[in-house]
Amino acid sequence: MAGGDLGWTVDSRGTARVVAALGRIDERTSAAFGEGLAAEVAAAADDGKTLVVIDLAGIEYMSSRGLRGLTLAQRRATERNVTVVLARPGETMREILAISRYDMVFKVHETIEAALAG
Amino acid sequence: MLIRFWGTRGSLPVSAKAAAIRDKVVGALLAAEGRRFADAAEAEAFVDDELPFSTAQTYGGATSCVEIEADPDAFIICDMGSGLREFGLESMRHCAAGHPRVYHFFLSHLHWDHIMGFPFFVPAFVPGTKIVIHTGHADAEQALRRQQEEISFPVPFDYLRADFEFRTLEAGTTYRIGAVEVSLIEQHHSHSSYGFRFVGPDGKTAVYSTDSEHKIDDMEGEADVVAFFADADLVVCDTMYSLADSVSMKEDWGHSSNIVVIDLCHEAAAKRLALFHHEPTYSDADIARMHSESIRYEELTRGSAPLEVLCAYDGLEIEV
Repeated sequence: MAGGDLGWTVDSRGTARVVAALGRIDERTSAAFGEGLAAEVAAAADDGKTLVVIDLAGIEYMSSRGLRGLTLAQRRATERNVTVVLARPGETMREILAISRYDMVFKVHETIEAALAG
Repeated sequence: MLIRFWGTRGSLPVSAKAAAIRDKVVGALLAAEGRRFADAAEAEAFVDDELPFSTAQTYGGATSCVEIEADPDAFIICDMGSGLREFGLESMRHCAAGHPRVYHFFLSHLHWDHIMGFPFFVPAFVPGTKIVIHTGHADAEQALRRQQEEISFPVPFDYLRADFEFRTLEAGTTYRIGAVEVSLIEQHHSHSSYGFRFVGPDGKTAVYSTDSEHKIDDMEGEADVVAFFADADLVVCDTMYSLADSVSMKEDWGHSSNIVVIDLCHEAAAKRLALFHHEPTYSDADIARMHSESIRYEELTRGSAPLEVLCAYDGLEIEV
């Protein structure tokens, strides 16, 4: 469990760790979100996982600091040979990923199963 | 206070090619759907009211130069990009009508695209003109002289007849310069850049912050930027890249993204934002798309008071 006062769940699925945060990732919560992601990436690597799926279904919206937290997590993951992908963005998150062009730097999947299948 | 944009393009001047103008004409004719116009006024109304800006007009291609009209006794200009040439000629018309020949420049930094208009700034050739160059950089005079050395330009700096003064300002200090109060903040950019906050005699505030990268590994440091933007009536901001570009291929190139700047303005409770320093590879349609996406992002992430998101173009005037 990580992520400060954000709702936060973690699920181990084979060689993957599925991480889900709940709520708004804004200037108030983005630091906790970033720290939580970093901890989950480290935990996944320590556990021999090769994939971290960030489930966006419960995220209402994400500001630029949250998005940059995703990039920092991706960098840490790459250093440890772990891949980070995104899954299940809602309508608002889908728009934000498109506007920021983050949908071009992260693989975005419609379902957790699709993310796990790569 | 009136903000007038003479150059809004980043990095390199650009101009529309023949094909781009042709596309605009085709777009306008298609939108007109065969209608007839009784006179020029009717046609102008159609162009102004019914065509998208990117079809009817252009964002322009001159590099950074922004005039702040707030002091009847002096011109105030941010940066000396290629837009400065046209400003210089226009200012001379005002001087011929009695405006004092006093120019206060505020230089964000000394990179090529922000000083390249200076050799073409005609008032610098006129005796009796006073030019004060304010910046956080102690090497501003060296930069201006160097670009007029023989290897780069035929007219040396010493040929200029204006009375020059170079003033190095300190970040964190507030200065009264003519009718305005000015403070500055150091920004992340190669060789550093400085943002300026102007408070006019009417208390209105405009911030000019260009060539400023908000580093991914220093997000806590953005509190200083938020404080600098606080409650501004207008923030003119570098929004050259998408966020994805700014944290990937173009990281450390010294520029910001539209959505980081919107978040900063939201946090600062700024009233209006002018997107600025447009990517030179962007067409008018690309810039229009970036503007509409920025407006949408502002709506999606708005906490309380709305932030009006404008898109600067060469020739735009904003009353603050």
